[in-house]
Amino acid sequence: MSNLNIDSIKARTFDAIVVGSGISGGWAAKELTGKNLRTLVLERGRDVKHITDYPTTMKQPWELDHLGQAPSKLKQENPIASKCYAFGEATSQFFAKDAEQPYVQDKPFDWIRAYQVGGKSLLWARQTQRWSELDFDGPARDGFAVDWPIRYADLAPWYSYVERFAGISGNKDGLNQLPDGDFLPPHELNCAEKYFGDQMAKHYQNTRPVIIGRCAHLTAAKPIHNQQGRVQCQNRTICERGCIYGGYFSSNSSTIPWAQKTGKMTLRPHSVVHSIIFDEKKNKATGVRVIDALTNQMTEYFARIIFVNAAALNTNLLLLNSKSNRFQDGLGNDNGLMGKYIAFHNYRTRISAEYDGHLDSTTDGRRPNSGYIPRFRNLYKQETDFLRGYASGFGADRVVHNDRAGLGESLKEGLLKTNYGGWRVGAHMMGETIPKESNLVRLDPVLTDQFGIPQLRISVSYDDNDEKMIQDYHQQLTEMFTKAGFTNIQTHDVPNKAPGLDIHEMGGVRMGKDPKTSLLNKWNQLHACKNVFVTDGACMTSTATQNPSLTYMALTARAADYAVKQMAKGNL
Amino acid sequence: MQRRTALKNVALTVGGLVSLPAWAKAWAAPNLAADLRLFKANQKQLLAEMVETIIPETTTPGAKTLQIETFVMRMVQDCYAPASQELLSKGLVTVDETTQKMYQKNFIDCDKIQREATLSAMSNALDPTQVAFFGLVKNLTIQGYMNSEYVMTNLTHYEFAPARYYGCVPIKQ
Repeated sequence: MSNLNIDSIKARTFDAIVVGSGISGGWAAKELTGKNLRTLVLERGRDVKHITDYPTTMKQPWELDHLGQAPSKLKQENPIASKCYAFGEATSQFFAKDAEQPYVQDKPFDWIRAYQVGGKSLLWARQTQRWSELDFDGPARDGFAVDWPIRYADLAPWYSYVERFAGISGNKDGLNQLPDGDFLPPHELNCAEKYFGDQMAKHYQNTRPVIIGRCAHLTAAKPIHNQQGRVQCQNRTICERGCIYGGYFSSNSSTIPWAQKTGKMTLRPHSVVHSIIFDEKKNKATGVRVIDALTNQMTEYFARIIFVNAAALNTNLLLLNSKSNRFQDGLGNDNGLMGKYIAFHNYRTRISAEYDGHLDSTTDGRRPNSGYIPRFRNLYKQETDFLRGYASGFGADRVVHNDRAGLGESLKEGLLKTNYGGWRVGAHMMGETIPKESNLVRLDPVLTDQFGIPQLRISVSYDDNDEKMIQDYHQQLTEMFTKAGFTNIQTHDVPNKAPGLDIHEMGGVRMGKDPKTSLLNKWNQLHACKNVFVTDGACMTSTATQNPSLTYMALTARAADYAVKQMAKGNL
Repeated sequence: MQRRTALKNVALTVGGLVSLPAWAKAWAAPNLAADLRLFKANQKQLLAEMVETIIPETTTPGAKTLQIETFVMRMVQDCYAPASQELLSKGLVTVDETTQKMYQKNFIDCDKIQREATLSAMSNALDPTQVAFFGLVKNLTIQGYMNSEYVMTNLTHYEFAPARYYGCVPIKQ
């Protein structure tokens, strides 16, 4: 081998490679560089620099040509992405366009993707609840999936660790089913929401608490946040455009620039990872094959450890596509379970009502958060004819009517006069779904994308348990709203709303104790290829009801800590 | 707070870590004239008088001064289905047909009372197409007006960055 080649390989060799720069990849980058590893972060999309690359963040409502609505052409070109609630004129630049990566829907599945540095962390809903023991214990207690190889105590210190850095706002509610975190000050519940909470406490003897949401907003920035260049959230509630204040946590505002400051990170955008290279002699992964999205050229990069944080389904795709003599069905896939047991959150239904109390009061300002009803179904024992349960978002706001009658001067006067109506009340379901072998993703044997990478076939659907849970949600929430004296109670199930729009797809590379029935061990290492770590949604054994990102962050920080310690011991 | 000031404040708060991005310097430039390829100048003229009749100038500007007709056309052209685009084009023809019948002149040559009477008649017409046309224009006029810079800044006092949320405040009588 010539010296030139050796030099070239040396330049392409790092201590660690992180695939993906979203919410978990950003954490991997921060932790690994923070522990002195020269880290290559590969991102398939373009770079998005904090503030500089948020083109709509300072646009006043009237400066958006269509007041935020996506033009028809954009929607027609993106029938999938445009279904996302956050997709619009001011945000579409942060969504992967449908044409960028075709996939096959064996069953309807709206796959929402965001290909840029920061990934979906720019767009997320920012709700951050810890899992509890009751969630980790779920599969073992109720006999589905496999037992989680970790418990709450394993993750609790890592929750604290990531909460302090990311900045999580919340109230210490002292709930067994939703452990308190290291919180910044909470947002306020409004009068109608507090009233509902009081009513529920009375009618259900404190078994159905109504709390303020826990979210990744700097309600009071601490020095650690100022050091990241972030300041207090200004309650603009246009978060999905990117926040110039860094008021909410994203990779772009927080972990990626933090990793950059160490001088140990090489960030490579436009890098589509084709596969992971497995060396049979060394019995470990040695690097990755990267297709440059701009030149279509393939280059290999090497490292001692690899963190796969490509987002749940793309992580499945990448590992399934990492074929070798040793692993003919995908890296680490000895048991054939990779891609199976995909689960998600059931967001299909919501409920609305009206409340005619507290008419002398209203709210002032804006709140990037809402109320939250933690899971109360099947908490300590099986109570229903379906497994597990649901959490619920909950919120109320005061209706303001503008009289739109007539035309001319009377109309103009009517429009500008504020008439208060009652309170509009709403809640939406966030149901745990049960991972099943039949909910799966796999590679299409023929179809490929523009890079020659196989297209993903997604075969994921609701089941009977989900349908029963929706019925129960309607019944229980209707009962709760009725007890609170709310009127005009209406449920809004959308049976044809496909899975995917929850953007909480999980599993396929699940953690577990036994290599025969799981892919990852309790440290998020592939059982069969220990220097590959998977710490995004793909690792999830079950889904619980909590918004998952905080758990991905904690799992990532924990796994990175373990990986570096093992490297120091010479085990990796 | 003006945007330039807001941005500078941010730059200061975070310790001068950031320099102002390129887009931050471009806001003074007037919005590029909308590309209203679907509609003709005379249609725009007529629509301007129509939106002004719906929300007229009083002690504060009316919809014409605020160029709400441009907003209506832009929305229908870019965000609405072809059926709505046709509804708008054909509806504008109907407006002049109606004034011709009622007053033997075009809408634009009618006085204020005649214009109001014409639109009132269309909003109550037996022909559902006329009602739908008037509804489309009226709704978009209201949307554009209520979200215009003038109204949001001077009349409804929109706050871009309120920096607060209070859950329970008494309503001012």
